[in-house]
Amino acid sequence: MTSTRSRPRIRARDIAPYLFIAPFFVLFLVFGVFPLGFSFWLSLHQWEPAAGLAAMRWVGLDNYAFALTDPWFHRSLWNTLWFVVVSGVPQHLVALPLAYFIQSRLKRTRNLVVGAYFIPYITSSVAIALIFATLYSKDYGVINAALQAIGLQGAGQGIDWLGDAAYTKPAVAFVVFWRYLGWNVVLYLSALQVIDTDLYEAATLDGAGLWTQFWHITLPLLRPMIFFAVTLTLIGNLQLFEEPFILVDAEKGVAPSVMTSAIFMYRLAFSDGDFGTASAVSWILFLIIALLTWVNGKMFQREGDSHGAR
Amino acid sequence: MFKTSITFAASLTAMATLAVLGLVATPSQAQAQAQKTVITVATFPDLDRAARAALPRWNKLHPDMEVKIVSLQYTDHHTAMTTALATGSGLPDVMAVDFRFMGKFAEAGGLEDLLKPPFNAAPLRERFVRYTVPQATNTKGELVALPADIGPGTLLYRKDIADKAGVSEAELTQGWESYIEAGRKIKAKTGAYLLADAADIRDIVIRSGLKEGEGLYFDRAGRVLVDSPRFVRAFELGRSARLAGIDAKVVAWTNEWSTGFKQNRIATQMMGAWLAGHLKNWLAPDTAGLWRAAGLPGGAYASYGGSFYAIPKKAQNKAAAWQFIQFMTLDKETQLDSLRVLDSFPALAEAHAAPMMEEPIAFLGGQKARLLWRDIAARVPAVPVNKLDSMATDVIRDEFENVVAQGKDIKAALADARAQIERRARR
Amino acid sequence: MARAERMAPARLAAFALVGVGALLLVSPFYFTFVFASHTRSAIFDTPPPLWFGSAALANYGMLIERLPFWRNFGMSVYVAVMTTALNLLLCSMGGYAFAIYEFRFKKPLFAMVLASMMLPAFLNMIPSFMVMQFLGWIDQPRALYVPGAAGALGIFLMRQYIASGIPRELIDAARMDGCGEFRIFWSVVLPLAGPALGTLGLITFINSWNNFIAPLVVMRSAENYTLPLALRSMQSPNNTEWGTLMVGSAIAMLPLLVAFFFCARRLVAGLTAGAVRG
Repeated sequence: MTSTRSRPRIRARDIAPYLFIAPFFVLFLVFGVFPLGFSFWLSLHQWEPAAGLAAMRWVGLDNYAFALTDPWFHRSLWNTLWFVVVSGVPQHLVALPLAYFIQSRLKRTRNLVVGAYFIPYITSSVAIALIFATLYSKDYGVINAALQAIGLQGAGQGIDWLGDAAYTKPAVAFVVFWRYLGWNVVLYLSALQVIDTDLYEAATLDGAGLWTQFWHITLPLLRPMIFFAVTLTLIGNLQLFEEPFILVDAEKGVAPSVMTSAIFMYRLAFSDGDFGTASAVSWILFLIIALLTWVNGKMFQREGDSHGAR
Repeated sequence: MFKTSITFAASLTAMATLAVLGLVATPSQAQAQAQKTVITVATFPDLDRAARAALPRWNKLHPDMEVKIVSLQYTDHHTAMTTALATGSGLPDVMAVDFRFMGKFAEAGGLEDLLKPPFNAAPLRERFVRYTVPQATNTKGELVALPADIGPGTLLYRKDIADKAGVSEAELTQGWESYIEAGRKIKAKTGAYLLADAADIRDIVIRSGLKEGEGLYFDRAGRVLVDSPRFVRAFELGRSARLAGIDAKVVAWTNEWSTGFKQNRIATQMMGAWLAGHLKNWLAPDTAGLWRAAGLPGGAYASYGGSFYAIPKKAQNKAAAWQFIQFMTLDKETQLDSLRVLDSFPALAEAHAAPMMEEPIAFLGGQKARLLWRDIAARVPAVPVNKLDSMATDVIRDEFENVVAQGKDIKAALADARAQIERRARR
Repeated sequence: MARAERMAPARLAAFALVGVGALLLVSPFYFTFVFASHTRSAIFDTPPPLWFGSAALANYGMLIERLPFWRNFGMSVYVAVMTTALNLLLCSMGGYAFAIYEFRFKKPLFAMVLASMMLPAFLNMIPSFMVMQFLGWIDQPRALYVPGAAGALGIFLMRQYIASGIPRELIDAARMDGCGEFRIFWSVVLPLAGPALGTLGLITFINSWNNFIAPLVVMRSAENYTLPLALRSMQSPNNTEWGTLMVGSAIAMLPLLVAFFFCARRLVAGLTAGAVRG
């Protein structure tokens, strides 16, 4: 009888992964768990924060019921999903071919062009609010002026981009697109670096054009990065707060048309003094985001992606 | 190999984690306990400028008390204060609170009742403009703050445009219908809009005709008042102004708004008296001399904004804080300095008797507008505030938008508003 | 020959489109600098100024007078650099583990990492404040760079890149050569992760730089504010000095531009595509 070891040797290989991920989880334990627990606990209470911690009042699932039946919450969800689609989809549809074009056709001007596309991401919010308010101005804005110059708009018939409910949503969606396009270009660019240029050369020799190569070589190999970038856009846009908040002042009549779920939550917490319901909303949102991310994963992720390239 | 690698990895992770957590005890930044008391004043722009302007005099009068001013953006400040009140720590000695947050903070219970000893502010109450005191008083009758400045509501109008359209000041101010009618004349004869936003009319009318003890949106018993005749009239007047095409549909403090003034396209603006200073300084400096100030139409008296100073219960230097607050709010010289530097109207009634009030204001064509504003301030009714006022304001604004932009019926809109407010006020 | 001629107009059109797009994207950035050199009245003029004015020095003077600007700048740099350095190390470690190893609880643990990205941050303000208060870290920079030192986004990014971009064979080969686990990570995997590290470094730096909520919760004195918070503190509801604010914003954006060009070389350089071919 061949004797087997009575106790398997613990290999470095077995412990190493835990050590590698330990920093994240330690930090998470110290700084993440308490706020999470607090937020969940809070969602079961009614609380006006200025009154101090002792003022929490147990209400059970009342906050959740209130939020789920609230017309403003539904509206904000609709707005949020609208933004996800309208500003999220173009971001990727444009960023992908653009990154490919930059990678394959631009050599000397590459950094400059990528930089230009990336600049919106680093422009400060204050500047964005002020400058887009100026650009979108009904009577004095550059956009209306341009439209009038081309003849698509009558003189004095300026569109109130940030004041007319029909146009405000697209106007804000455009700013989100503007801001994150470069970010996606950079992501895709970094993934394009690993694709073996030999593949392209072989394809060119076989007579395949730029577009064919893109479709049959680049896209399939970029699948993991597409999944990643789309997931980020999904998570980010479902939590969209900043752009609508800074472009459309909360006091404006048209504000409800761009009120996202995150803004609704903010309003609940700081304007209505109802932190409990705000926390409940954040957890409901979390479930929605988790669900959609899982769906996204099912659509894009393939088992083979986890085991190395090529 | 196994041992080295595992030890290496383990120790690196441990070191990184430890270093990162900074578990090595580091003494926190201990303030050198000098002889001086340091009073922390948490405030926001522009109120911080009033405090800074007052510092030289303060330092002469109280060399042993140093004032540290911590200023944050308006919303950031109130968020930070909410956070501090929530946890009972990180609170300043003196807290500046804007009118919009006063109701909430007063009700919450984290601020000292100034009527009690050692403050004993009861006799001080009558030294302030009457309507400000209830704004800082909560439903338990506690006075939690003292007012620092006020914004008496005034109608600033372009005399040149009104003259050109043959409209007199009396027509503008006599009543709401005559105001709107004057607006039609102005539009027809000069092409200028009467006002920037029809919602302004709505806001003022809501504030007029309040019964004794009634709050803006709620009465003393907490019942919602938004379907009362006052609101119906407010919505109707606002809507008719919009339908008459006499409002520019621009929001205050935007590019268009400012340009509207510069290009003579907006004839009047209802706002706090401090607007005159802004117009002069940067909004429309070239229109100097063309404006005049009047009371609000229809004999309405309202206030725009206002700031207060309070002492948190968990503050560290309450006695010193109280000294500072008295200096800022009860000292005539300080109040008049604020007027000079910031155009912020004093809340202290005594300051209203100063000779400065009689100065002609060049921007308003030499009009002695401060006398007018002082008079207005004395007549603004005292309206109790409710902590849910800002929520109700949001609901009303939304429903009004439905009425003017989508033609919703006013009665239906107000009924919906009432249902919404009741729903959200369920606590 | 024929093909080259056919391609030219399409290529030209493509270049033109990309160029115009780039111009559109840059204009707000450009206007920040233009507005920084004008007075408040001029900015709100019609039409707004298209070229530089002469108020830049005056605006800058007011900026320095109102804020401890360069002190805040330094604080922002310090916090951003620390956050980035820590993230580069800790996230690549975490991402590497999730990408390469198989271990128990791997799936649920990774799900936790992902999930931590899905909760909105600003509701955490009050409990975060409580934690910082408890640790005694109020008004200290470490409260800003420690909590986010191993960001979930970074782990996600590194995992994605390493899983699909680093061939398994390399790692197995190194292991067979007798390399220890950490050595494999450090000497074999990290050097190949250049583009991902460049990307991670860039976004971590930018996110840290622009974050104003964390400093709002933690900082208690104006000298310790980071730039976005400090610049915001100059904003008044009705009375903001826009020209001055624009100068501050313009200067605040420059380090990000520098960071971009610094990382771009690494990002876009196109490294030798792997040691294992075909």
